[in-house]
Amino acid sequence: MNTDTMIFLIRNMVPFMIPLTIVALGGMFSERSGVVNIALEGIMVFGASFGIFFIYFVPDLMSPQLMILAAMGIAIISGVLFSWLHAYASINLKANQTISGTALNLFAFAFHDFLARLITKTGTEGVSFKNVFRIEKIPFFGDIPVLGDLFFKNVYLSTFIGLGILVVASFVLYKTRFGLRLRACGEHPHAADSVGINVNRMRYWGVLISGALAGLGGLVLIIPTTVEYTGTVSGYGFLALAVLIFGQWKPSKIFLAAAFFGLMQVISNSSGLAFFTSLGINKYFYQIVPYLTTLIVLTFTSSKSASPKAAGEPYDQGKR
Amino acid sequence: MKKILAVLSVLLIVVSLTACTKKEETPTYELALVTDIGTIDDKSFNQGAWEGVKQYADEHDITYNYYKPTEASTAAYVEAIGLAVDGGAKVVVTPGYMFAPAVYEAQTLYPEVKFVLLDADPHTEDYATFKIESNVYAIYYAEEQSGFLAGYAAVIDGYTSLGFMGGMAVPAVVRFGHGFVQGAEVAAAELNVNVTVKYEYLNSFAPDAAHQTKAAGWYSEGVEVIFAAAGGAGLSVMAAADAATAKVIGVDVDQSSNSASVITSATKGLTTSVYAALTDFYANTFKGGTIVTLDVAKDGVGLPMATSKFTTFNQAKYDEVYDKLVAGTIVVKKDAAKVVDLVVPHVVVTVEGAE
Repeated sequence: MNTDTMIFLIRNMVPFMIPLTIVALGGMFSERSGVVNIALEGIMVFGASFGIFFIYFVPDLMSPQLMILAAMGIAIISGVLFSWLHAYASINLKANQTISGTALNLFAFAFHDFLARLITKTGTEGVSFKNVFRIEKIPFFGDIPVLGDLFFKNVYLSTFIGLGILVVASFVLYKTRFGLRLRACGEHPHAADSVGINVNRMRYWGVLISGALAGLGGLVLIIPTTVEYTGTVSGYGFLALAVLIFGQWKPSKIFLAAAFFGLMQVISNSSGLAFFTSLGINKYFYQIVPYLTTLIVLTFTSSKSASPKAAGEPYDQGKR
Repeated sequence: MKKILAVLSVLLIVVSLTACTKKEETPTYELALVTDIGTIDDKSFNQGAWEGVKQYADEHDITYNYYKPTEASTAAYVEAIGLAVDGGAKVVVTPGYMFAPAVYEAQTLYPEVKFVLLDADPHTEDYATFKIESNVYAIYYAEEQSGFLAGYAAVIDGYTSLGFMGGMAVPAVVRFGHGFVQGAEVAAAELNVNVTVKYEYLNSFAPDAAHQTKAAGWYSEGVEVIFAAAGGAGLSVMAAADAATAKVIGVDVDQSSNSASVITSATKGLTTSVYAALTDFYANTFKGGTIVTLDVAKDGVGLPMATSKFTTFNQAKYDEVYDKLVAGTIVVKKDAAKVVDLVVPHVVVTVEGAE
């Protein structure tokens, strides 16, 4: 395999890998606190909606990089607010978390359509935006051979923010008191409660963080991959759930899992590259690859699933 | 707090229910469009047809609305048509060949309603029976000519490494693709150059990061311009083109506003033909029971030269080849089973994936 192909694969892995990592980390915070969050897809749609609306309505107010930061902030806030519904239903009302999550998923698509038709100038659900957020080349770093081509040319700010989130997330989860308490609430909430931890509050934190990250992830996925947002993230929220499970609810493994899924996605769409055609393998094989490898890997890893023990169960103080 | 919330929400439900029961306030819509897969702003044929409806209705102060089927099935389409008729529709516009069986049923179910069927003529699901009633006007477009013009223009303009990404191998998209390859061939023969075309159907009409990656791969392999005849999926191709500073040819409607990478669009006159059909209806000259194919001779297809970004290809050249198509000096084949069956000595077609 020549370097060009390598560079292509790695470069194109990033638009999949970064949003998947961010969203799966969000799912991790929620599930580690004991609340299953299958609403990731819906929250992504919701967060991306508001981020894109922001870009749509204030196009020339500020420099592109500042604008994308502001849009990310808005995506995060809207993600938090939206996930509040899930938190309220599954923590205060002790509702079934799967049903609550599904409700959010269904709601987000419809809400985007409704809102977009109401407020865009065209009155349509597709919101077009000019992608001015790509950074052609980062000074100095872009000149490093190979590495510069890989990571410092034609990049998005979100790539570095995503990596930053990964570091912060693993630090918070393992090295802070907050992280320890959060994990305790997901494993054995009664034990946590007995030493004075407010389980409901910790779970709220878990769900709201997942909302923030999923909202951000939605925007980060949309920006580099289309020129118009139509209120769909094409199932990447559910793929992030798979990444979460595949990554065993651990930040570093989630990152590897996201990279793996990202690479598989790229390979399945790159059968036309000279390198792959030269291998003489049937083109359909490449399209099967992501699913086949997922099946194989899950077969070997599922037996030692490390899912948080209390995930999915509403906390009931009286139940022992 | 909870009680107040509960009472409030009950009140809300009661109020909204009573609002629904006020029959006399239910508005009716004379003109209706039922959407195919995708919505009225797909920057593609739903939108083109919708704009025709909208334009006519706005100019003549007629009520109009669109209906979105719950799923892509004949049953759902018939149901949506039923909704439109219940909503007071006198004319129902149905864009897309998927509607052929639905309109086949609806034309006898609602004989008093007129149908404008685009890209198809009514037939049964199994293609066994074709029958058009006097309340249906079926319009085909010569997509192969539109695609031909795009392929011709691209090669004359100096592009030699082309790509074609179709949404799905449905008749209209296939005609676009085959026309594109033949246009490239004629131009390549004229200039005596060799041209390559990567050719693939994406099996999707929706934007997706996967399409963006695929297009990025093609561009990295040296493809200079991709003709994206794939509705919303084309938006992801444009995103890839923006990143690679490469080019895209849009489809169905003028897509130049979507991205700076769009050099031209292979359009078909959806808006104008729907507008014309509605004009006929209100002039009591509705061409019911007829099937037409709108081609270059009827200004049914073409490139929007005003917004095109060509360097050497120009209006004069466009008119020249356009006239040849009208005169029949150049005939674009549209019934080849596969793109590889086309005889194109100057063009190397590489089919990616299934055909």
